[in-house]
Amino acid sequence: MSRTAAIGWAAGVAALAVLPFAVRNVFLLHVVILVFMWTVLGAAWNVLGGFAGQVSFGHAALFGIGAYTTIILFLKAGVAPWWGILAGGVAAAVGSVPVGLICFRLRGPYFSLATLAVAELAKLVALNWEWLTNGPVGFLITTLPPLSLFGHPVDWEAKAPFYALAALLMLVALGSTAWLSRSRLGAFLVAIREDEDAAEAVGIDTVRAKVLTLALSGFLAGLGGGFYAFYFRYVDPDAVLNIGLSMEMVFIAMVGGLGTVAGPFIGAVFLTTIGEAVREHFQVGHLIFYGLFMMIVIRFLPEGIWGRARLAWARGRTGARRHGAA
Amino acid sequence: MRTTKLPKWLLLLAAALAFPAEAQPLKIGAPQPMTGPDAPFGDKFKKAYALAVEEINGAGGVNGRMLEVVIEDHQAKNALAATIAEKLITQEKVLVLTGGRASGQAMEIASVAQRLKTPYLVDHPSADMITTKGFEWVFRNNPTGSIYPSAFNSFISEYPSAMPRSAAVVYDNTLFGKTIAASAMKFLKSKNVPIVGDEAYPVNTLDFKGIMTKVKGTNPDYLLLVAVATTDAILLTRHAKEMGIAPRAFVGFGGGFGVADYASQLGPLAQNVFSSAAWSGNPNDPRTKAFYDKFHARYGIWPHEHEVEGYAAIYIIADAMKRAKLTGNLDADRDAIRKALAATDMTTVFGKVKFGNWTGPTGDPFTNQNIYSPEHSVLAQWRDGQLLNVWPKAFAETSVVFPEPGFKQ
Amino acid sequence: METLVQSLVSGLLTGSLYAMIGIGLTVVFGVMRIINLAHGEMVMLGMFAAYFSQKLWGIDPFVSVLAWAPLMFLFGMLLYRTLLRKVVPGGELNTLLYTAGLSLLVANLALFAWTGDYRTINLPYGLTPMRPFGIAVPAALAIGFALAVAITGALWAFLNRTDMGRAIRATSQNREAAVLMGVDVERVAVVTFGLGTALAGAAGVLLAPSLYLYPTVGELLVVKSFVIVVLGGLGSVPGAIAGGLLLGVVESLGAVYVSATYKDGLGYVIFLLVLLYRPAGLFGVGKS
Repeated sequence: MSRTAAIGWAAGVAALAVLPFAVRNVFLLHVVILVFMWTVLGAAWNVLGGFAGQVSFGHAALFGIGAYTTIILFLKAGVAPWWGILAGGVAAAVGSVPVGLICFRLRGPYFSLATLAVAELAKLVALNWEWLTNGPVGFLITTLPPLSLFGHPVDWEAKAPFYALAALLMLVALGSTAWLSRSRLGAFLVAIREDEDAAEAVGIDTVRAKVLTLALSGFLAGLGGGFYAFYFRYVDPDAVLNIGLSMEMVFIAMVGGLGTVAGPFIGAVFLTTIGEAVREHFQVGHLIFYGLFMMIVIRFLPEGIWGRARLAWARGRTGARRHGAA
Repeated sequence: MRTTKLPKWLLLLAAALAFPAEAQPLKIGAPQPMTGPDAPFGDKFKKAYALAVEEINGAGGVNGRMLEVVIEDHQAKNALAATIAEKLITQEKVLVLTGGRASGQAMEIASVAQRLKTPYLVDHPSADMITTKGFEWVFRNNPTGSIYPSAFNSFISEYPSAMPRSAAVVYDNTLFGKTIAASAMKFLKSKNVPIVGDEAYPVNTLDFKGIMTKVKGTNPDYLLLVAVATTDAILLTRHAKEMGIAPRAFVGFGGGFGVADYASQLGPLAQNVFSSAAWSGNPNDPRTKAFYDKFHARYGIWPHEHEVEGYAAIYIIADAMKRAKLTGNLDADRDAIRKALAATDMTTVFGKVKFGNWTGPTGDPFTNQNIYSPEHSVLAQWRDGQLLNVWPKAFAETSVVFPEPGFKQ
Repeated sequence: METLVQSLVSGLLTGSLYAMIGIGLTVVFGVMRIINLAHGEMVMLGMFAAYFSQKLWGIDPFVSVLAWAPLMFLFGMLLYRTLLRKVVPGGELNTLLYTAGLSLLVANLALFAWTGDYRTINLPYGLTPMRPFGIAVPAALAIGFALAVAITGALWAFLNRTDMGRAIRATSQNREAAVLMGVDVERVAVVTFGLGTALAGAAGVLLAPSLYLYPTVGELLVVKSFVIVVLGGLGSVPGAIAGGLLLGVVESLGAVYVSATYKDGLGYVIFLLVLLYRPAGLFGVGKS
């Protein structure tokens, strides 16, 4: 890892550790937790969409699997949510494999449309298989299990435990993305993204690479979903499986910077601040701005905010152009 | 003893210093959908709250303090509703919460209110679950989904030969639709009425002709329709009639069947359709009539379920605030208001209010649910573009038209 | 038996309007390889256009379609010129995401401008359905069907008898060859997009009296139109017609004989199956 990157990571972790002590405002902490959660989701999409170049419109399905797994395991089997979140991630990863095997036979926009159909089917299942998901009624967590850490009982009404958990999940997500970008799999993905046929010709097992990537993407999305269930305590099909969620994930990853590590974080910060600002001060739906920014970014900033920033910085530093792959 | 005469300004200063809280308004938080597809409903509540606050403040406020309703937009998203509830509680430091509109958002708000120890008066959301979880900080004035069909149930039981010989139920696949359908079917089954059709449809279905074709084939005696969305209510009715279904009665459950749009969009197709709702106004009550006229004069539209519920909620809260001893300590005040709400015993435009713990039609125990809720369910009928109460007789504005004219035996 | 016939008739009538929406989408894809996620919003705009012209000026939608179709055509050309042209060279996926953003933008602007209030168009002659042979045929839908057939016929004539129509077909078949033959493909692209938008808008106008209007209706319609277009084969006009009718019938029969709850699911499953096993469409005429 380069020195700059190491400094970056160290600074980031230090900031994370200090933040809850610096920010006393409870609501602001809540917003920060949301930003972390969205970063995880954006990173999940980014792994598949930014690195592998496969645009999915159905990631909400993976988020939903994570959320439902966590909450069902807790309410029906008494599994503590922190393990449940892990299980949610695994369930989503496992669930993504058959989806991948089916959908990856398709290329480009066909793949995207197929993911859309799969997500809508997932929502139908959640609405109608009441024996599993309670249908439209959903699940509500009323009390969380007691937990003691280092001799202190955890106060679930405070923001601190959720902040810590969200920060941890975010580090996992960004860490996995960083690992992916430097790994062999990551290199394969770049090849696939640029020209899938050429990649095949060179001997890369594109299906295997894509399925593995989707599994990672699903794992992260599932972690995000599990966290949602734990923090918001209420899961119903419309809250965790609607296409709006899928689109927001795309938006975060794109605006932040596809194929970069920090991009999803930038995107999440951007989205959350704009969303809150618009909601408060304009009686206009914030979705207008999502759509507008999506268009602006694709037209003028296809590398995303962070991607463009890195390009500019790189150009400034060495005077040479670098490709923004990892 | 020598008395010193204090200068007037000193007395006024002392008075001002002694009652610093006089200027502090009493804040009520209300998450509502103000943008997005549910926005029309949020707007109804906004108008209702404004009218109530204006009246109460105009009459001197609550113990001299003015009411203030802080509305925030949750865009019909559960996570946002939770966020906003937290914001209202921790940033705006409201004393009470109300609103929510849809059950999913209300669940989140109730969860937050219970955890952050702030009273939440539910005015409209109808999922039974909100008051069956034992949340002592959550109160509900309006009937729950399972209670909605009460008036209809009593109508078919008591009106001569109104008991259905068979019934088809078409309902939307939401919390609302399923609860009401389940409750209605449970009652019908208990009366040995065969359910010949049980069709769940996805919300905002574009085309009901297929379902209605199927239902027509079963030739139901009664057609029960449940719709959360006005559009579904309108299309359900239109397509049912287009496909030629001709039961003894069309009965609609849900807000969509009780709004003015329903009749204005369907015209003569709405004639004689029954609408079972949480409230259509007891016209025999002069207070109700006064409210109706005032609202119409002020906003140009006639109030229905949503407006009344919002208006009544503010009055219930104000009543509780009046009885509570407010000291300026936020936590203590919220608890005082909670206790005051629990002791509520009053009548609003919506009806009588007293919160209690009792068992509802689903068999689940309610906490802080209005014990008069079953009485609030009313059966109304559309006649010439107007929605008029027809059952129970005590609230009836006109006589029932039943069976559907033109019904062939 | 009556139920079956009624089901078929309803399905075909509604399917014809779905087909029109699908034709617009498929034509644009065939020529420009653009999958326009904002297509549903074009239909929505058509619906609102019909609504306002009826409400404000009392013009019957089946008459106003004659004016709105050409206007939507011009609007589509403008949209392509100003917004899409620079983005298309960026690749199919970029364009897909771009149109997704456009779709969000237009739908939410409409929501802001016209609010989420539900509206319907009430035609005095549309209240009671016609009943030939005891089968209920709603008047508005029947007239819509007839006009859809007429418009499709006109489109057919345009594509086969006029120079521009032939240019469009040529570009759709093989872009490079068309360039070599001297076709101005840029101009063809602009015209095609206008055409696609006009068809969507016209479908909206014709659908409006039978449905209800709300700004986010595009979301629902666009998914249906993709199913149709994939069923019929991307780029094929006859395919889109067949696909639309098929979807209408499948949904109608599905609601009656399978279950209303899963009728949408049926469409998605068929969609996935076709994508996987017959990506060229059921009739094998689509392009990849």
